Amino acid sequence: MSLKYDPESIQLPEGWRKLTPILVALGVILVAAGFAFSLFAGGGSENASEASMKFFAHSYLANFMFVMSIALGALFFILVQFVARAGWSTSIRRIAELLMQTIPFLAVVFAPVIIMLFANMDSLYEWNRPDKIHSSVIKAKIDVGYLTKEWFTARAVLYFALWSAIGWWFYKRSREQDESGDVGLSLARQKWAGPCIMIFALSVSFAAFDWVMSIDADWFSTIFGVYIFAAGMMAFFATMILISLSLQKAGKVRELITVEHFHDMGKFMFGFIMFWSYIAFSQLLLYWYGNIPEETNWYMVRLTDGWQYLSYGLIPLHFAIPFLGTISRHVRRHRAGLAFWAVWALVVHWLDMTFLVMPNAGPLSFVPMLGHFLGGFGMLLVFLAFFLAKASGTPLVPMRDPRLPEALTYANPIL
Amino acid sequence: MSEHKPTKNVETRPPKACGWMAEFTNEHDLLEAAKKVRDAGYTKTDAFTPFPVHGIDHALGIKPTILPFIVLCAGLTGLCTALLMQWWMNGVDYRYIISGKPFTITPASIPVSFELTILFSAFTSVLGMLALNGLPKFSNPVFTNPKFDRATNDRFFLYVDAADKYYNRDSVRELLGSVHPTSLDEVIEDSSPSHLPRPIWLGALLLVLAGLIPAAIVLNMRASFSDLPRWHVFFDMDFQPKKKPQQTTTIFADGRIMRPQVPGTIAKGQLEEQDPFYLGHDPLKMSLADYRRAVFVSATDQDPSGDAKPADPKPADPKPADPKPADDAKPAEQSPAPVASAPATPPAAVPPVGDGGQAPKYAWLEKLPIEVTDEHMNLGKVKYETYCAACHGYSGFGDGLVAKRALSLLQDTWTPPTSLHADRVQKQPVGQIFHTISKGQGKMASYASSLSPKERWAVVLYVKALQRSRNANIDDVPVEQRSSLTTAAAPSGAESK
Repeated sequence: MSLKYDPESIQLPEGWRKLTPILVALGVILVAAGFAFSLFAGGGSENASEASMKFFAHSYLANFMFVMSIALGALFFILVQFVARAGWSTSIRRIAELLMQTIPFLAVVFAPVIIMLFANMDSLYEWNRPDKIHSSVIKAKIDVGYLTKEWFTARAVLYFALWSAIGWWFYKRSREQDESGDVGLSLARQKWAGPCIMIFALSVSFAAFDWVMSIDADWFSTIFGVYIFAAGMMAFFATMILISLSLQKAGKVRELITVEHFHDMGKFMFGFIMFWSYIAFSQLLLYWYGNIPEETNWYMVRLTDGWQYLSYGLIPLHFAIPFLGTISRHVRRHRAGLAFWAVWALVVHWLDMTFLVMPNAGPLSFVPMLGHFLGGFGMLLVFLAFFLAKASGTPLVPMRDPRLPEALTYANPIL
Repeated sequence: MSEHKPTKNVETRPPKACGWMAEFTNEHDLLEAAKKVRDAGYTKTDAFTPFPVHGIDHALGIKPTILPFIVLCAGLTGLCTALLMQWWMNGVDYRYIISGKPFTITPASIPVSFELTILFSAFTSVLGMLALNGLPKFSNPVFTNPKFDRATNDRFFLYVDAADKYYNRDSVRELLGSVHPTSLDEVIEDSSPSHLPRPIWLGALLLVLAGLIPAAIVLNMRASFSDLPRWHVFFDMDFQPKKKPQQTTTIFADGRIMRPQVPGTIAKGQLEEQDPFYLGHDPLKMSLADYRRAVFVSATDQDPSGDAKPADPKPADPKPADPKPADDAKPAEQSPAPVASAPATPPAAVPPVGDGGQAPKYAWLEKLPIEVTDEHMNLGKVKYETYCAACHGYSGFGDGLVAKRALSLLQDTWTPPTSLHADRVQKQPVGQIFHTISKGQGKMASYASSLSPKERWAVVLYVKALQRSRNANIDDVPVEQRSSLTTAAAPSGAESK
């Protein structure tokens, strides 16, 4: 079956294609501005520069995880569509594929973290300076050879290599199908999506342990990878909704992405708001109930020094309010309503990553946090620039995918 | 269901028409027809298809259901029920300390709240779906047409009900005819009997009756007597392979399942108990008098001389009939009952003390370690009346309700409670009474878990007051008030304090 369509209607809007350099420049400027603000973090004490470096390093990591988790969400979305042999999502799949293709670029963004390790700095990962460590738990993790800069770097390279390779393999077949329309390309992806999900699950879990959990190496939570995954999936669907809405507003992909697709992305976003709450609460409940000092300390840090406002704030902001806000199908089928909650989800996702990382950098103070926010916004712009760079000149819908007709006629049942 | 056999006894009126049913061979025709019927304004319509057809709801013009809203309300009800329940149970009605956690709403309340939210929502979804669909429904007029059987196989049906606001027999036929159905039939009322067949009634009745059997057995057993042992429905729960307090065992040489504290060790919370305030006697003083015994007493809380007694019970009860063994504190009694004390009962240390004539084992406190105030007196009165009066009686004569009841039942194993006004008890120093409350005596159990040390001392204070009030003589009354006593008819014991 071949569809008649205007090739221009599935391309990025003309004006967007030139935005990449501007967005990257703007993003870098904002991150640099964030660094300038973080100089206030020292508060004039004798080790002010150390404190501001520590703040900036944590801020950088939190903002990196903010966008990285979205890209990982995209990768998982692609894999799971093929595992489930889903038809409904075909017309939005390419956008997710392009988001997934930003992972190699994000490896470059992660490079400063590695460089900091080899500069022998412990601003972010205190385990990088074993001579300063007093905790026997961290010492054990260093002695066993896990938390060392060499092995940490090797693992980070491995994660990025795995994700990039999986992404590249799936994207390549998707693009080939644009030319040939070969069903075999879909079958091949269906065949390998399952094993890739296993690789994905393990690597994301370990990446979360390495990158985020090890900033407080005394603490441990086996559910931590799932936590990052749940948060990232929610943010990914929010991003998808916003990109799709923006494209349609610019006059593209109007007939290809229907209100049913928005409804479904809204459902997924709603579902992952719930899933995040479930995971976050599961982690809290076990530590609260166990009440063991080495486990509760992580929460202690997050419930003192001003961070309690953020931590308690996440309960309504990340769960109760958006849960009630997106529970109705009328909201999920309403463009403005969906856009509002997607922006909300992205903001609370940033707050969530802040909650995970920033309290370890010291007490909450306003001016450096402003810099952290600017940095987060800058990071989002850089991420968007990567997406636009990949999307320029690429069809935004896999027009020859054999499952496309299924996606176009798909309708949610009236409940 | 396809066959319908008109019953003979039904009067011969023409069967009522219920609507029109159009048959189609594929879902596209059905969807087109449904849209036409919807646009013509009919709402009492239905479609029957062998598989779910996407878009049929829209084509039929089915309005979104209010079920989600009902489920939301039910979920919120479940949530509130769970929170209220936990707040009431854990926070108000039955406070129970669990590793120092707060009593009322805590993170631990969330799983229960979540589960109840889901439970209420799930039940409401299913039951609400049934109710909104008018289910269960045993029959439908469309079943009367044999063609309809193919609705589960390869045919698609569109049905317009005669109950529709705009229904007109001819115009509906015309409308349905215009969409080219394979066939178009008028649906006629199912004239077969509408009541349930008798076997089903019978089966249901049997089930209900069978369900009454267990209840009947329970009722019968509660209302009758039997010499047979009871039924053990859950045998392994009734007889668990474990030991309970006071049982015997072959594992340990002494045959006791309850292990004494290892000599020379101190358990958590016991360190403070070397203080006379917690003991009723002064171990330091005792150790000065007899070091070896003091070590033994503090390590085992047993008196060496008392321990020796059971082996040779006779000397222990010098005055058998009268419940006045040497060392009987206020409550307690076990003292040797008229029946020769069974060898199994180690008459918990009945060592001669004080009036027993031998050297005192303990250096009893002679003075109350708490102040004699109204507050302590009231505390002692409340606790005495709660824990002691049941056996010893409100006045301390050993005539509590339990004792009276036991006497009236003529229980020969019953040991009457000691009167607190017996000479022997009156002579006991306060520390010894305290020790009796703390450790128990004879059949009297320890009250250390129910009464804090301070409360125990308050009870001792109250017991002392009782003893004084019940054994007062005229000298106890202030001189200036003696005249009022002599004028009073009956000299009832002056309530001191």
